[in-house]
Amino acid sequence: MTRTDPSPAGTPAASPTMAARAVDLVKTYGKGDATVRALDGVNVAFEPGRFTAVMGPSGSGKSTLMHCMAGLDTATSGRTYVGELEIGQLDDNALTQLRRDRVGFVFQSFNLVPTLTAEENITLPADLAGKPVDRAWFDYLVDALHIRDRLSHRPTELSGGQQQRTACARALIGRPQLIFADEPTGNLDSNSSAEVLGFLKESVRKLGQSVVMVTHDPRGAAFADRVVFLADGKVVDELLAPTPDTVLEHMRQFGA
Amino acid sequence: MWNVTIKGLLAHKLRLFLTGIAIVLGVTFVSGTFVLTDTLHNTFTSLFGNVYQSVDFQVRGAPAFAGNTGANAARKPVPQSLAATVGRVPGVAFAHGVVQGYAQFVAPDGKAVSTGGAPTLGVSFDPNTRLSSLRIVRGTAPTTAHQVAMDEATAQKYHFHLGQSVEVLLSGPTERFTICAFVRFGTADNLAGATLAAFSLPTAQRVLGEVGQYNAIDVLTQPGADKATVQRAIAAVLPRGVQVVTGQTVANQATSAINQALGFFSTALLVFAFIALFVGAFTIFNTFSIIVGQRTRELALLRIVGASRRQVFRAVLGEAFLLGLAASLTGLGLGVLTALGLRALLKGFGISLPSGPLVFAPRTVIVSLLVGVGVTVVSAVSPARRAVRIPPVAAIAEVQAEVGVSSRRRVTVGTVVAAVGVVALAVGLSKPAIQFVGVGAVAIFVGVAMLAPLVARPLSSALGRPLAAAFGISGRLGRENSMRSPRRTAQTASALMVGLAVVSTMTVFFSSVSKSATASVDDTIDGNFIITSSSNGAGAFSNSVGATAARIPGVSAVNTVYTGQFQAEGGVQGLTAIATRNLAQTVILRVESGSGAPALASGDLLVDDTTARNNHLSVGSTIPVKFAQTGDTTMRVGGIFKTNSLLGSYLVGDGFFLAHFDNPLPVAVVLQTTTGSGAAAKAAVEAGLRAYPNLKIQTRAEFIKTQQQQVNQLLGLVLVLLLLAILIALIGIVNTLLLSVFERTHEIGLLRAVGMVRRQVRAMIRAESVIIAVFGAIVGIVVGTLLGVAFAHSLAQQGISDIGVPVGLLVLFLVIAGFLGLGAAWWPARRAARLDVLAAIASD
Repeated sequence: MTRTDPSPAGTPAASPTMAARAVDLVKTYGKGDATVRALDGVNVAFEPGRFTAVMGPSGSGKSTLMHCMAGLDTATSGRTYVGELEIGQLDDNALTQLRRDRVGFVFQSFNLVPTLTAEENITLPADLAGKPVDRAWFDYLVDALHIRDRLSHRPTELSGGQQQRTACARALIGRPQLIFADEPTGNLDSNSSAEVLGFLKESVRKLGQSVVMVTHDPRGAAFADRVVFLADGKVVDELLAPTPDTVLEHMRQFGA
Repeated sequence: MWNVTIKGLLAHKLRLFLTGIAIVLGVTFVSGTFVLTDTLHNTFTSLFGNVYQSVDFQVRGAPAFAGNTGANAARKPVPQSLAATVGRVPGVAFAHGVVQGYAQFVAPDGKAVSTGGAPTLGVSFDPNTRLSSLRIVRGTAPTTAHQVAMDEATAQKYHFHLGQSVEVLLSGPTERFTICAFVRFGTADNLAGATLAAFSLPTAQRVLGEVGQYNAIDVLTQPGADKATVQRAIAAVLPRGVQVVTGQTVANQATSAINQALGFFSTALLVFAFIALFVGAFTIFNTFSIIVGQRTRELALLRIVGASRRQVFRAVLGEAFLLGLAASLTGLGLGVLTALGLRALLKGFGISLPSGPLVFAPRTVIVSLLVGVGVTVVSAVSPARRAVRIPPVAAIAEVQAEVGVSSRRRVTVGTVVAAVGVVALAVGLSKPAIQFVGVGAVAIFVGVAMLAPLVARPLSSALGRPLAAAFGISGRLGRENSMRSPRRTAQTASALMVGLAVVSTMTVFFSSVSKSATASVDDTIDGNFIITSSSNGAGAFSNSVGATAARIPGVSAVNTVYTGQFQAEGGVQGLTAIATRNLAQTVILRVESGSGAPALASGDLLVDDTTARNNHLSVGSTIPVKFAQTGDTTMRVGGIFKTNSLLGSYLVGDGFFLAHFDNPLPVAVVLQTTTGSGAAAKAAVEAGLRAYPNLKIQTRAEFIKTQQQQVNQLLGLVLVLLLLAILIALIGIVNTLLLSVFERTHEIGLLRAVGMVRRQVRAMIRAESVIIAVFGAIVGIVVGTLLGVAFAHSLAQQGISDIGVPVGLLVLFLVIAGFLGLGAAWWPARRAARLDVLAAIASD
């Protein structure tokens, strides 16, 4: 199942400095005639300290790519790395620890545990690891995200934007190597979206954080430093320093 | 709509299976009880039918007391000469006397053959095979004064052989006989644990204590004689107080006496079956509530596409109906297997029953199906009504699923139901009326279950705190989950609550009985040794024991205790007799008014204060009484003593008793020694009574311990029978947790995504389960303890003088409940941990 021809864009340099990369990544679902190739030999690398957006039409495999690279799903073949660690060989406990200690997540919805307060949700990864929370870092995050006055509230008492900002704080609390954001603003109005995306962008600028965001919103993608385009399970194009217009233009080429 | 119901059922096989299991187990218990008792009924009926089918008539003493005319009625023996008189009646072919009494074999090892409570029968052997109920398997009928026939089961158990010499304990001195035959009683392969010794008629009269008299005369008519005419002719020659009845009547009376005992046994088992079903009802109610909550969207969609409220209601109830039906049918089948299992279980407790073909009556099918389906459907009514209230808009909009009865209304209804329960219980206990007690207990449980959500949150919070401290984030999340929906937590815990409430009630009740028994002994017995029969319950031994014991060196006083029945205050009453000589040295009489020993010595009656109060008796009152042997007379109340369960309600002196009872057997002998109750003193007493291997010789402390052990054994049996209810409650917890895990798929997926390892997921579910179980246990134990105290208190007049709350044991139950909760979480925790993280977060 190995495919050797490299994709035209996002060719991974075998650089040790990459935050995460995928080599010849294939993911198929089903068997026989019903086989669906969600990822069809993807080679991509995400640089550290950069904000990368992954775009593509529905069914292009962008979510699958993120799941495989974050250790949430296992690839059919190929290799995935977080830093220099190949995660395809890891067992469940090691993968869980990887997610807990080295990766941060922001999902589209259901980001927070309903029984816990906002503060408890933010410190959840540290609590799960049984590690002390860096209080100064915590204070910086809640202030930067303007959620200090909501800390003792439960998720149901928070607005959609507040929930996503709390999720951002949780993703960053452990100073992960990489943050995966899966349509983080999919359920938000434009003001709230801008606030969340602005924060992610700032975390890259100011703190050197690495962020990979899956999105189908061109305006959202424009917050990124680089946009990788996926179609039919392959990386088909990429764009540096995007604007909403250039993103839209590129997307039109793939009929998205 | 019917289609939707069936599809809905099939779509959730696991849920179906777990919910159904509660009903399957309950119905299994019900049908198993029916099959077992029907089978026993059939066995005994055919046994007695067999035995008496050849006897045309029986001549016997008329029942002595109007209140008791059945097989166990007290009857006077008939004079031996009457057999000849009856034999001369035209149409009579044979008229042979029958004698029955106490005879107990001594095993080759010198110990008495013990029966675990069943009778040790001595009978006369009738050589006329048409009249005899005994069949000789091997050997020849006993004819001489030194021969005995032994029942086959005893012979096999102790490896006796024909011609062997065997000692037999009798009401008089022990004698030695030669075994001449092995016999069977009718067609039975065992005598339900009883033993049987058959002697020639004159020997039986001598050793069973009926010299010159028979217990009854069996009559066989000549072929072709008109039976009604013969019966009238026999009746004409009988003296007053003697009756002639058909063999069929005798068989029927014997059967109905057995059936009465079986009926009690069957009722007791059914009570436990219904407790199990009642617990099952909580489980079903809870499951259906959650299912309706989870299917809100689906049900609302049905409403959108045009289903009426009535149709939705029917769809949910229809699911319950089909589930109940399938589970009941399964339970019915398993019941037959259980009947065999119960038989084995009872055998394990020393109650062996004769074998016979299994009886599967239509009643078993009907009651099992009605109960199983009924409980399921009734439990689903409230969830179905909740389903009906789901607005169609819930299908498209996120509507809060909790559309149940408002909590204020539930609190009101719960309070009222619990209050009604308390009142019914109070009425039932004071009357006493067992139906009121049952209704009251059920209402209290339902009421408490309705009120439990009020305390679920604070209690879960408190219980979860140490878990959160010990297990970190997992414990904290488990605690939060248990607090999330107090109503669900309370509902889930309610089944275990009821189960443990019944367990605690029984435990408190029995420990009160045990404590009271100790107090009774302390209150009554002053002697150092108490001698009773070694076969529990069948308590009889030779009346020469007292005299023999008196000759033992160091024994300073002996008191032989008898019990019997007489008629007084409108019913058949138990009567206890104690020796008036040396009374003060052996027995404590707490006389409240009148006199004690002097009144007994002069032939007066002593009554306990409860009886005196209830019948408005005082010292000097004269009451009419009747004895089986001596007939009507009057007795003066010479004194009133403090109520005590060992002494009973009516007490007389031994002189009076022996004058009114023929050949009674003692039930106990109390010894006072000058040598104390140490090992040496006990050895001396044992040595002096070596001739009586059927005696249990105990010091006062040992006697108390035995009494407590008997109570504890009964408690053990009850707890075993309650295990099923506990098991059903646990299945309820498993079921709810599985449904909760399913409901929280997304949340668990999120926790896994942000770094929760499987071990932590399992710990979280376990913490929740333990909190639920311990919560249910606490409420149950509190309610059960109160009920137990109420039961025990209401029986104060029956001799439960002390209330005992075994705190240690109740705490142990609580700890066990915690571990059971841990066990119940095993599967749900595993499922939660195995959840596919990606599927969990991607679902939606």
